[in-house]
Amino acid sequence: MEKASIKILIADDEVDFRNLLKFWLESKGYSILDASNGQEAIEITRRDNPDMIFMDLRMPVMDGIEAIKEIRKFNQEVPIIVISAYVEDPKVKEVLEYGISGEFYKGDDFQKSLVLLESVLKTHKRLKK
Amino acid sequence: MRSIIVFYIVTIIISTFIGFLLVYFSGLTAHPKKRGEKKEVDLSTYTVEDSLEKSIFEEVKTILGPSQRSLELTKKISQVFKKELEEKINYTKEELSKKYETIVEEKTRNEEIAWKKYKEILSDKKETEAVIRSVAEGLVVLDAKGNVIMINPAAERLLGISSKEKVGKPLLEGIKEEQLISLVRGTEENKEIELISPNEETKKILRASSAVIEDENGKPIGMVSVLSDITKQKELDRLKSNFVSNVTHELRTPLVAMEKSISLLLTQDIPEPQQREFLAITQRNLKRLTLLINDLLDLSKLEAGKMQITRQPSSIVNIINEAILGLETWAKTKSLTINKIIEDDLPQINVDPNRILQVLNNLIGNAIKFTPSGGSITVEAHFIRENNEVEVSIQDTGIGISKEDLPKIFDKFFQVGERAYTDIGGTGIGLSIAKEIIQLHKGRIWAESEKGKGAKFIFCLPLE
Repeated sequence: MEKASIKILIADDEVDFRNLLKFWLESKGYSILDASNGQEAIEITRRDNPDMIFMDLRMPVMDGIEAIKEIRKFNQEVPIIVISAYVEDPKVKEVLEYGISGEFYKGDDFQKSLVLLESVLKTHKRLKK
Repeated sequence: MRSIIVFYIVTIIISTFIGFLLVYFSGLTAHPKKRGEKKEVDLSTYTVEDSLEKSIFEEVKTILGPSQRSLELTKKISQVFKKELEEKINYTKEELSKKYETIVEEKTRNEEIAWKKYKEILSDKKETEAVIRSVAEGLVVLDAKGNVIMINPAAERLLGISSKEKVGKPLLEGIKEEQLISLVRGTEENKEIELISPNEETKKILRASSAVIEDENGKPIGMVSVLSDITKQKELDRLKSNFVSNVTHELRTPLVAMEKSISLLLTQDIPEPQQREFLAITQRNLKRLTLLINDLLDLSKLEAGKMQITRQPSSIVNIINEAILGLETWAKTKSLTINKIIEDDLPQINVDPNRILQVLNNLIGNAIKFTPSGGSITVEAHFIRENNEVEVSIQDTGIGISKEDLPKIFDKFFQVGERAYTDIGGTGIGLSIAKEIIQLHKGRIWAESEKGKGAKFIFCLPLE
């Protein structure tokens, strides 16, 4: 699969962080979709069927937890990596039962997000096959 | 006392009587013949005057027979006897009345002392009761069995019970289910009691500090509990701990953005326009961090009551323009438009321009935070002639504030529910600082909003 054809959705209300992550992943050749709250994330997932989602848990209008619950109702396939604002964020526990592929802590290096993303995509592809 | 007096009188009567009899009998033996003549007396005409005379006459008659002489003797004896008796009685009467008077005097004095003491005790008691009544803390006194001896009005209010119904009964008996004491923590002496109510507003947390009351032998005879309402304190504790985690979040978010932009700039080959964008991100977040740190510094000033303003004639238009200029790039990242409706020829106002700028930064900043992409913010300024003041308002098309939250938004550390859990964040001190600044200028600040319908913040500043 061509990297450019891999669509990744980033849902985060922190515009700067979202844009920076977007730039970073785009520079690595991925196509990026972005959403600033849970509601938008659901709509984009339904419409554009991304290959992977980075989901922030704390967002206005609809938070990441609600969005993940909703998305899992119509899409059990798509791997979701949660973006956490704290190390050992207690909110992460609330979504574990909905099938989470990993956790990316905002303070971590972007390189880590890439490693995480690639390993998740690989596992997922293998599973699909 | 009385029986002794009666006995005394009777003894006098009898002894006098016997004395007279003896005198009479001695006379009898000395001149028996002379007085022995018997003369018929018409006893039908004889009348005894009273029972005393009658009984004397009966006695005399048995000795001298029913004669005139007997009658006369009777009269004489009776007269002497009565006279003597009268004297004795009078004397006794006098004595008695003297004694009585002394007793009465003494008694009156004792009564006066007792009354005075009673009054003193009564006023002491009233004083103590008044003190207990007016103590702001609830006071409950229980006996050794746990029955209520006393509840002061504050405790009645705190526990939602009435003293009249409770005295003599166990404290917890019959407390309504909604007030059920659900949680008892802490040691025996210091308990935290949570009074649950279906209505969140009336839910209370009380702290009960209790002490055992002992008699002089050290035997426990009851317990006194002081109840204080710590609901507000608990709420403040909660807000403060939220505040700490919010500040942590607020510090980290711009730091993460700055760190990420700089590391991308340093490690990646980035085209020129993107470089500028990353630098702009860094600058913006640096500003955000600076504002936060200023807020934190102001908070400590606010808590110490040391916030000050330096007034100078200022143009509100300039201050508004400066605020908008500083926040424009932030608004652009969310595709928000900022409109200005500013009256021409606004008079100069005597204010601290930096502090008013801080208020505007705060209010416009909030509007940017809480308005979803594509919305708009309108800043208006008018001169209100009748009040001689300038009114500034900031209206947004954001998520709005619910009716319940509206009265609390200017409270220190308060954050509207949902906001605390989103990356919108905020520390919950911005509005309380804005309020303080406006009040230092003798102005007013308030908000109008409905959930989902945007919010409008208005402040008025007097010209002088």
